[in-house]
Amino acid sequence: MLRLENVHKSFGGIVALHGVSFHVEPHSITGLIGPNGSGKSTSFNVISGFYSKDRGEIYFQGKKIEDIEPYKIAMMGIGRTFQISEAPEKMTVLENLLLAPKNQIGEGVFDVFLHPKKIKKEDRKHLKNAFEILELIQLHDLRNEYAGNLSGGQKKLLSLGRILMSGPMLILLDEPTAGVNPTLIKDLIVAIKNLRDEKGKTILLVEHNMKVISEICDRVIVLDFGKKIAEGTPEEIQKNEKVLEAYLSGSSKRG
Amino acid sequence: MGLINFLVYLAIMMGIYGILSLSLNLQYGFTGLANFGQVAFFCLGAYVSTIIVLTFDMPFIFGLLGGMAVACVFGYVIAIPTANLKEDYWAIVTLAAAEIVRIFFLNEDWVVGGGPYVGGSFGVGGIPQPLRSLFSAHTYPFFYLAIVLVCLFATYIIINTLTQSPFGRVIKSIREGGDNLPQAMGKNVKKFRVKVMAIGGSFGGLAGCLWAHFHGFISPDQFMPLETFIVWAMVIVGGKANNKGAILGAVIIMVFYNSTRFLKDYIPVEAVTLASLRMVAIGILIVVAMLFMKEGFIKEKRVVYSK
Repeated sequence: MLRLENVHKSFGGIVALHGVSFHVEPHSITGLIGPNGSGKSTSFNVISGFYSKDRGEIYFQGKKIEDIEPYKIAMMGIGRTFQISEAPEKMTVLENLLLAPKNQIGEGVFDVFLHPKKIKKEDRKHLKNAFEILELIQLHDLRNEYAGNLSGGQKKLLSLGRILMSGPMLILLDEPTAGVNPTLIKDLIVAIKNLRDEKGKTILLVEHNMKVISEICDRVIVLDFGKKIAEGTPEEIQKNEKVLEAYLSGSSKRG
Repeated sequence: MGLINFLVYLAIMMGIYGILSLSLNLQYGFTGLANFGQVAFFCLGAYVSTIIVLTFDMPFIFGLLGGMAVACVFGYVIAIPTANLKEDYWAIVTLAAAEIVRIFFLNEDWVVGGGPYVGGSFGVGGIPQPLRSLFSAHTYPFFYLAIVLVCLFATYIIINTLTQSPFGRVIKSIREGGDNLPQAMGKNVKKFRVKVMAIGGSFGGLAGCLWAHFHGFISPDQFMPLETFIVWAMVIVGGKANNKGAILGAVIIMVFYNSTRFLKDYIPVEAVTLASLRMVAIGILIVVAMLFMKEGFIKEKRVVYSK
């Protein structure tokens, strides 16, 4: 599904990715973990095109992704959320959701005037879908509220909702449960699992909550200092000595 | 009669500036593009239409369409290299672009088409008014007002339809979410910005054309950066990201702008001083609006969808 080969990325003197290679199996949930500064977010940004990589190759569904603009990568079917959940503040929750579907007819200036009926029909379809998603992310009562008035956790849910609306093949989730209350986390876990089991999506997620990781991930990839140091099932990872060392002795070694 | 003539004149000005204000509202209010060079579109519309009608002896409608087209292309062209700039840099670039346009017309006085185009710092006079011969001197302003109102209405309908469409959702997300979020959803942010500038440009050009053919005389000193800020005042006071607000803002600011005609009878200040003071009054109005009504007279309308 997704394969990174020897990817390098540095910012000035700081090496964020130092030859990262890993792959993500189709229809799986893969966790990407590691101490702070290990290169998780940078990996996400490189995959989704927000950073251009220095070296190495990324393949998506067997096709090499060149250095192209982020919106083109989104168009290929890679969707992502952001660690700091951005949400258009002065747009309502529903508007946020309706924004997400790709290639809407009504996004063309002339189409707005030439095909009003088609646009209306398409909007109806998206709206129906949006109401289903609202139930899932439990924002139904807040549907006409400005996204800027939502709490941090609710914004996380909204960004998951937008991803569901745009329907990518591969979903990159950056800390989907950070700031979300424990009861809602349980629902989120169910929702993410459903994406894999019912919709056949592939998910790669960065997460610090080990409970979430061990509950939903099929495989876990551990990064440290911009390199993959371990890979395996959540159980294997928790016993892996290299991983324990990276997490436990992290700060003193880094000095 | 004098008062009615003045009111018709005022209404025409409100209509023309209403179009300018709607255009800036699309750019700034909805897309977040701080265009400090709105007057460039106005200037281009006025000059191009004048040149087409006066020196090429073409009908008014061609001048109007030509002025719109050139201003549209100008908006498109300045947006291409600048579409990725942040708001403050965008403001600087557009401000400079508008000055370039003005200084171009200040320095050019070539001979084109059927007759000499005597422009430059002297300006261009004798710009024909459309269908002038069909009306008397008294009735013509009413006819011109009708033209302006039709144009204003058309502009309102087109921009309002756009801002309520999926296109409108995308440009609002660009205003709100910067580049990252819309891009992550597959929206070509740069292309949307360029489109907005092209649309904003054509309507700015339309306003310029209407202005030139109403006054019959244009010169570069009418297109100073100050004009841009009058239009900004309209958007800020009226209510950004609300199309009705943009028109209301044009009405309010135009009343202020023309109030000196009457105030001079009541306030013991020289007419020249009073004329300068009106800019101060508009400045104060902007400050008051920003302090006490951040969203202007008419707030942005929340979009509500029902099942």
